[in-house]
Amino acid sequence: MIAPPLADLVEPVSVALKFAIVGVLYLFLAWVARSSVVDLSRGAVGAVAPGVVAGEGLSGGGRGEPRLRVERAIGHHPGDEYDIGQGAVIGRGAQVEIQIEDPYASSRHAGLVRQAGVVIVEDLGSTNGTFLNEEPLVGAQPLQLGDRIRIGDTEFTYLDD
Amino acid sequence: MSARNREALALLPSALLVTAGFAAIFLKRDAFLSNASLTYGAVFLGLCLVGHLVIRFTAPNADPYLFPLVAVLACFGLVELYRIDESFARLQAQWFVVGLGLFAFTMVVLRDYHLLERYRYTIAAGSLLLLVLPRMPVIGEATNGAYLSIRLGPFSFQAAEFAKIGIVIFLAGYLRETRQVLIHGGRRFLGMSLPPLRHFGPLLAIWGTAMLLLIFIRDLGAALMFFGAFLALLYVATGKKRYPLLGLGAFALGAYVVGGRVGHVQDRVAAWQNPLDPVLFGADIADQGKPGFGSSYQLAQSLFAQADGGLFGRGFGQAELLTRVSDGGTVTTELLPASQTDMIYALITNETGLIGAAAILLTYLLIVQRGFRIASLARDPFSKLLATGLTSVFALQVFVIVGGVTKVIPLTGVTLPFISYGGSSVMANFILLALLMRVSEDARRPT
Repeated sequence: MIAPPLADLVEPVSVALKFAIVGVLYLFLAWVARSSVVDLSRGAVGAVAPGVVAGEGLSGGGRGEPRLRVERAIGHHPGDEYDIGQGAVIGRGAQVEIQIEDPYASSRHAGLVRQAGVVIVEDLGSTNGTFLNEEPLVGAQPLQLGDRIRIGDTEFTYLDD
Repeated sequence: MSARNREALALLPSALLVTAGFAAIFLKRDAFLSNASLTYGAVFLGLCLVGHLVIRFTAPNADPYLFPLVAVLACFGLVELYRIDESFARLQAQWFVVGLGLFAFTMVVLRDYHLLERYRYTIAAGSLLLLVLPRMPVIGEATNGAYLSIRLGPFSFQAAEFAKIGIVIFLAGYLRETRQVLIHGGRRFLGMSLPPLRHFGPLLAIWGTAMLLLIFIRDLGAALMFFGAFLALLYVATGKKRYPLLGLGAFALGAYVVGGRVGHVQDRVAAWQNPLDPVLFGADIADQGKPGFGSSYQLAQSLFAQADGGLFGRGFGQAELLTRVSDGGTVTTELLPASQTDMIYALITNETGLIGAAAILLTYLLIVQRGFRIASLARDPFSKLLATGLTSVFALQVFVIVGGVTKVIPLTGVTLPFISYGGSSVMANFILLALLMRVSEDARRPT
């Protein structure tokens, strides 16, 4: 408590308190903002989430060459990329562009076609089905940056940036 | 430093702010410093630590800054409410406890929020019902001409606060399902390719719902909030600028046509265009020494209060809230009506000045940045859309109320999240925060 003779200290103390509060608040915000910026620049170098480049969101532009990046596949190196600008067939057979040795794959499993600048993926009547972003692929679906195509234990990511 | 330790450390500043804020108010009121402010600070820190522990056990990888940022807003709210009326602060503190309870409940029960996607139509129906209920007889209740709250016995709650979460969940689920069709639409019309009518229909229905909201609950702010979140989601889901542009145009047109016909909305727009008009302000009422005020009084007083705050503000506890209008000094009128809810931003600006108000807005901006960051890290489309939608609706709510108080858009009564007095607002926003934390946990969990 402040004794009565010190009553005229009330004004300066409350002004000091106000500035202290605002000061602490700004220091805190600066700290959070700095961490956010550090976070962002780190995210830009290595993709943090598999298949999705940080900051790209859902809306892929589709301006670059369409490619499939290997996430996991027997006999392939993760990170390898296949150019699919001319279309491609994925399967276990010999007559396909992207050959995978997955026991769950059919010989001609899934097809990729380029139509009007969009790459479309379609299951070619495989036994075990194709999964687009972990959902069973039905009919022909256009691909967007970051979409994941899974066949058995083999997984690719679609890139076109 | 691990994410959770960083979070714990970041909670200290807000406890410090509560202590200093209460100290400033005690000092102003009683001219002495009491150690009660330390107690308040300790209690606040204790509550925050409980929330922190819940996160530590249920979502150890989630975003470390969201919760501390919210704590800073909450502490500002408590200090200002205490300064307006002690009972407000006491009740608000109780609401924070309930809100934290709901936060913990959501974090523990909703481990897999993808379940929500399955029930999207049920959730949508429930939310629409919540929005329409305030217009029903008996339980409905009008506040300043807008139908926003439901009264059940002694309790009254703001339906729109809860409906906003439900609607975002529905939109995220719905757009996750249909976005492919919306992107690669069929027919061409006026040089734009439009999606088939089957899918365009629901979009028109959502626009129609926003217009109906405007007619039914007569609240431009709520309609803007919901429709804005919808457009943000539509843009993120499709990546096509023409959807939000078309939507904005349709909304502006609809708001112009509907707003011109609904009396309450018309009044708000008139007050916004000319807040200093003597008739709208209600100068004659004040001259006769009666309590009460005109339709633009609140907005005009808010502008005066903010201007009066200046760069550094008048100091905590120093804003004038009541004035005597008649010569006898028997009748008092509020200088800043609804200062605990709609006008709390004006009060904060008055007491802490431009630097304080800017700090509050910065806090909101950082929360929104964290929210969009969560969306960009999320691994599946539904999570991305959910995080985007929740963040957008939160940001739009802040825009609607701060924009209203600062005369950027017509003033409508939504709350300033985590600061304004009100149980529904606190509870709903804690649920929103819990959902964001869950998405964040899912996105940042190492696989």
